[in-house]
Amino acid sequence: MKKLFLITMMLVLPTLMISCATTGELEKVQAEQKMIDAKADQALKDAQAAKAAADAAQVKADETSARADSAIKAAEEREKAAMEKEKAAVEKEKIAEEKAKKADAAFQKSMKK
Amino acid sequence: MKSVQETAGSFPSQSHHAKEIERNKFPVARGEDVIGRLAVIRLEKGDTLPDIARHFSLGINAISAANPGVDVWVPEAGERILLPLSFILPDSPRKGIVVNLATMRLFQYKEDGTSLLVTTYPVGVGTSERPTPTGRMHVARKAARPTWRVPASIAEDHRKKGDILPKAVPPGPDNPLGEYALYLSKSGYLIHGTNKPASIGLTATNGCLRLYPENVKTLFDDTPVKTPVRIVNQPYLIGQRNGVLYLEAHAPAEESDALELEKLYKKLRTIEKKAQRTLDWKKVREAQAEARGIPVPIFELSQGSEKEAAKPIEVEHPETLYGKPEIPALNLRAWYVLAADLPDKIDAQRIAAIINHQGPQIPARVFKKSGSYRVIAGPFNDGSEAKKAAKRLKIDLEIDGIVIEPVKNG
Repeated sequence: MKKLFLITMMLVLPTLMISCATTGELEKVQAEQKMIDAKADQALKDAQAAKAAADAAQVKADETSARADSAIKAAEEREKAAMEKEKAAVEKEKIAEEKAKKADAAFQKSMKK
Repeated sequence: MKSVQETAGSFPSQSHHAKEIERNKFPVARGEDVIGRLAVIRLEKGDTLPDIARHFSLGINAISAANPGVDVWVPEAGERILLPLSFILPDSPRKGIVVNLATMRLFQYKEDGTSLLVTTYPVGVGTSERPTPTGRMHVARKAARPTWRVPASIAEDHRKKGDILPKAVPPGPDNPLGEYALYLSKSGYLIHGTNKPASIGLTATNGCLRLYPENVKTLFDDTPVKTPVRIVNQPYLIGQRNGVLYLEAHAPAEESDALELEKLYKKLRTIEKKAQRTLDWKKVREAQAEARGIPVPIFELSQGSEKEAAKPIEVEHPETLYGKPEIPALNLRAWYVLAADLPDKIDAQRIAAIINHQGPQIPARVFKKSGSYRVIAGPFNDGSEAKKAAKRLKIDLEIDGIVIEPVKNG
């Protein structure tokens, strides 16, 4: 009986002792987890804020880029229109010159005997 | 060299004004080759280059070449026009009559005691198909109010266009020889007047030489039979005046260009070698390429030479231009021909001016009609006159005119 008691004590005591240590540790771990969680929350929040900022920056960049694109396009269109206008003016001048030349040629022909 | 270059073709300041400028008769100083003086005139509304040319005894070729880019028929009022009234005498003996085909100019030399006088007139010359012959000949005979015996080749040309010519055309407005003719010893070739004054300075004849009516009269009176006539073709002329060497370049006929250029460069190299100074070849090439037909100073033969003569003088616009076609007032009882209906004002003005300068003249003016400009030829006294004018417009200018009857009859 004494032997059995001894064996039992040998098994229960360490268990009790372990049980006590685990509760303290668990609280500590839980506290740490809480802190980490809070940190994670903050990090997430920061990341989300950063992402939001990045997204906003991207939107701004996209907007700027789009505006730049449309400005370039408008400039290109203006240039194209100017070139077309110039081309039309050159063409008009060319036509006028050709008309004058044609009229002159007809005149010169009419001056023969 | 720079100071010499600056004088060429530059327009004068407002201060040099002249009422008149000599255009035909010049003394020739011993050892000199350049005569006359460049001038500038400010155009007025309604002027055409052929009208200015005739008044100043210039050919249409000369005034056009001297003023590149100026509309011959509808120049802008206020525009300043260079009158190329300075000439380098052809490289030929200074005796009798010398004609330079390339410059379309006739020179008549006369001794006046110990000095030499030259009278110069613009001419119309033969086409590339029927060129004026070069070489030595003389005036064989002269005739006032000549009859034109129509050569078979010309009759055939006209027949193809639907214009049947008589065998002979008597003196009068339809006679292309005008009022005076000098028959050359080279058979079939004449120096004569014209019923188409606007053709002076054009390659439009069948080999004859045409002068303005007012010029041929003077030449006729001043030229005795047997006067020697030398016809040359010199597109590049070099000559000196007051110690300055000038180059006068004209657009040459394509086939003669290389040969003529070679001759010019050879002459200039000889001058350069003799002077032992380098010529401004850039200036030479520029003058040659521009071919404005005016003497351009290219070299000072001696230091401190007189360059004033190269500066143009400003000439006042005369009240009326000699020989400018007149347009009679409108008349509701007259007949007219609608020659063109055009959307562009300038085009209409050009056609009207060309019709006005036909020989004999067909009066024409521009009427503004909503959205277009009408060229109306006339007035004509009757229907047959109007129909005759319409036929001429068709044959000579390929214009399909519509005869317009009078508004009021009787």
